[in-house]
Amino acid sequence: GTQVKDVVIKSDAPSALLLDKHADYIAAYGSKKDDYEYTLSEYLRMSGIYWGLTVMDLMGQLTRMNQQEISDFIKSCQHDCGGISASIGHDPHVLYTLSAVQILSLYDNVNVLDVDKMVEYVRGLQQEDGSFAGDKWGEIDTRFSFCAVATLALLGRLDAINMDKAVEFVLSCMNFDGGFGCRPGSESHAGQIYCCTGFLSIAGQLHQVNADLLGWWLCERQLPSGGLNGRPEKLPDVCYSWWVLASLKIIGRIHWIDKSKLRSFILACQDEETGGFADRPGDMVDPFHTLFGVAGLSLLGEGQIKDVNPVLCMPEDVLERLGLHPDLLS
Amino acid sequence: MHGRVKLKSTAQQEEEKRKEREKKLKIYVAGRDAIFTKRLEGVLDDEALQLTQQLLSSNPDFATLWNYRREILLHLETVREEDDVQKMYEAELLFLESCLKVNPKSYGSWHHRGWVSARLPRPDWARELGLCDRCLSLDDRNCESEVHCWDYRRMVVKMSGVPVDQELQFTDRLIGSNFSNYSSWHYRSTLLPLLHPESPDPPSPCHQHSHSSPPPSPQTHSHRVCEEQLLKEYELVQNAFFTDPNDQSAWFYYRWLLGRAEREEMISCVFVSREEERVAVAFSRPVNASSSGLMLVLDGQPQRVEWRSVHPHFRHSPVWICALPPGTISDIINEHNLTVHWTEKHTHRDCALYTGRSESWCRDSATDQELFRSELSVEKTSVLQSELQSCNQLLELEPQNKWCLLTIVLLMRALDPLGYERETLSHFQTLKEVDSMRSAYYGDLCSKFMIENTILKMEYAEVRVFSLSDKNLTMLCHLDQLLLVTHINLSCNQLLRLPPQFAMLQCLEVLEADDNAIENLDGLYYLPKLQEVSLKNNQISKLSDLQLLTSCPKLTCLDLRGNPVTQIANIQSELTELLPSVTDLLI
Repeated sequence: GTQVKDVVIKSDAPSALLLDKHADYIAAYGSKKDDYEYTLSEYLRMSGIYWGLTVMDLMGQLTRMNQQEISDFIKSCQHDCGGISASIGHDPHVLYTLSAVQILSLYDNVNVLDVDKMVEYVRGLQQEDGSFAGDKWGEIDTRFSFCAVATLALLGRLDAINMDKAVEFVLSCMNFDGGFGCRPGSESHAGQIYCCTGFLSIAGQLHQVNADLLGWWLCERQLPSGGLNGRPEKLPDVCYSWWVLASLKIIGRIHWIDKSKLRSFILACQDEETGGFADRPGDMVDPFHTLFGVAGLSLLGEGQIKDVNPVLCMPEDVLERLGLHPDLLS
Repeated sequence: MHGRVKLKSTAQQEEEKRKEREKKLKIYVAGRDAIFTKRLEGVLDDEALQLTQQLLSSNPDFATLWNYRREILLHLETVREEDDVQKMYEAELLFLESCLKVNPKSYGSWHHRGWVSARLPRPDWARELGLCDRCLSLDDRNCESEVHCWDYRRMVVKMSGVPVDQELQFTDRLIGSNFSNYSSWHYRSTLLPLLHPESPDPPSPCHQHSHSSPPPSPQTHSHRVCEEQLLKEYELVQNAFFTDPNDQSAWFYYRWLLGRAEREEMISCVFVSREEERVAVAFSRPVNASSSGLMLVLDGQPQRVEWRSVHPHFRHSPVWICALPPGTISDIINEHNLTVHWTEKHTHRDCALYTGRSESWCRDSATDQELFRSELSVEKTSVLQSELQSCNQLLELEPQNKWCLLTIVLLMRALDPLGYERETLSHFQTLKEVDSMRSAYYGDLCSKFMIENTILKMEYAEVRVFSLSDKNLTMLCHLDQLLLVTHINLSCNQLLRLPPQFAMLQCLEVLEADDNAIENLDGLYYLPKLQEVSLKNNQISKLSDLQLLTSCPKLTCLDLRGNPVTQIANIQSELTELLPSVTDLLI
């Protein structure tokens, strides 16, 4: 028979939350401009900044980051078409347009950008069938549907797109197991499920989800180690503590996960030496997994971390300021 | 970013690594800067192709470089002969293949390949299918690539018109070799409704889809597949999980096969009350009254009414209420005919309110609607019964197999939910023990099934009393089915709250929910007929938790003994002030 793919958490794995070390790790990360990995990941820099700033804000350490430098950087990434690129010289894309708006929302400073142009850019990405392309080159993915509506929701401009059609497309990606994939016919995957449930929340259409069926699929992501995988028979990964957990929170079934076992897994993914979280215990850390480890802990009710919004993955107090309360199923 | 193990190394090893990375970085940065310079200058030449090729080989996620390549290729298309364009794109495919070997998970590479294949003057879709087959067979080491590969395959199939049954056979082969199972079963679920659709029933009449919600995607309901094929699938899946009872994918697929058909869209209940001069309407699914075209006609006259959902929390709700203009139905001498029109779905429901009757309703029973159990054909019943037998045999061999246990429960629900109630409860107990991480899930699922059973029993007995005490209930659901209930007993369970949906119990007169862990009464919201509430031994702890009770005008009896709130100083006077009409207050 098949063995259950999983990791084993060693007895000496970290079991206490090392927030200060994580804050130090992130604060120092941006200054590594001559680092090979850092340079290679330039193509996602805008998202990298969003990950770093958001986790710092969740830990109450946002002031350690350089707001002016970041604002200037973002401004120089807006293109004539209105879209935002990951970094200077790179091409605009809806992924980085969302990240930029999320960052500027943290700073309450969205107006350094030409917002109307940005809205036009997003509107222009919607296709006839309601789907969204990532950029002018036409890749279609429900991730981009989420990016589009999340961006517009933060800007208060959801009226810019055809929401009915957008919903129709996302629902056409619903699968036999209650989950969602990238495109119609694509297999269910936790990342896509997060994007689609987040999308449906913003669109006010969560009642279209089969919460019991999807909730079951999601809670079956939990492995004996306590960690969560992204789909059946795969290894656990701390980033799924976000994609799966946030989805469960959105559909009102977060209690179907064994919270204390998940918490132990997430804590075990910390690196006591360097700070930061890795995808699994013992691996190399990075800001991406650091955000989702901390955000996952927030959803689990960790007192030392600010409340995170499960739809937008941003501190609740920021959304409160914006008056944004996306629906959640109870 | 994923799967990179942290290795310990000596100071010297660290220094060597650092020097090497510094060198690599220099080369990379030089390449990148050269590319960006050329692009800014609007250059679209072979050298740019060379440079981007070098960088993309080690960093295929650098999306902008794929964009630049496409700009160059498009330009070259305009200045080259068709044969050269063909060669150019074939070379591109070769380059892509090497990229995918190094990193099979790159969205950029897969998207670019799709773009190139579509631009080839003479595309070779068979070759592309072959690439997919090869990628899948290499897959075990590179899990994530699978998803990209299957999606790419689907695109190729669409572009080249591969017949659906051929793809179905492809999944047969994969499943037979115990490979890429979840993806294969998933693919089947999308192919079957296309190849073997259920016999087309007369569809809903043609109508505008201005605000209607779209139909669920074909693969969400296995009932979209004709029964003959469905029964064959049972056999196929059974072989799979008997071969390997721990192969999850087969069990997930099986659950889909056991699923019920989607509900017909209709008004399931209309209730009228003279005293409150109010109409309550229950729908087969949550709707938004303002965009659904809801219309109320009384004695042939359309009425100007405002529909509100039972709780402000819900913009979409299965139950909506409206108040009739005062005096229109209050005189018990008069007979009235009411019709509720759901114009968006071209359906309506009539309800006659007779002389001498203070209230009236019209509804389909849960049994008629096949809400909790479908009518099964003889063939299907027979197949499911033998499935149940086989699963029970498997359970004897693997008593701890939670997939088997859960599937047995689902089979029993499909065959005879009331008849198997005792076994169902016992299996849920076992499930909580063998799969304790998910015990909250099993608690909720069991609660759901017990509620369904109680609704069925209530209907068979033709009473409006819902009684489900001492059944480890952890949550409440199907509350839209309880619109007509006058008495509800939920005592001795594990409920934490009466959720906003509880407000759908518009006819409720008596609520007993003692001995739970209730701390939240959000659902006791404007219940017009509610008179008696017993909440002994719960977790109501603040006066503000009871605020909503002021919205229930008929409330006279309230029992709060055994709640933390009763320990608050001056609670008696506080409550009397908050709820003056409650004459019978027990704390």
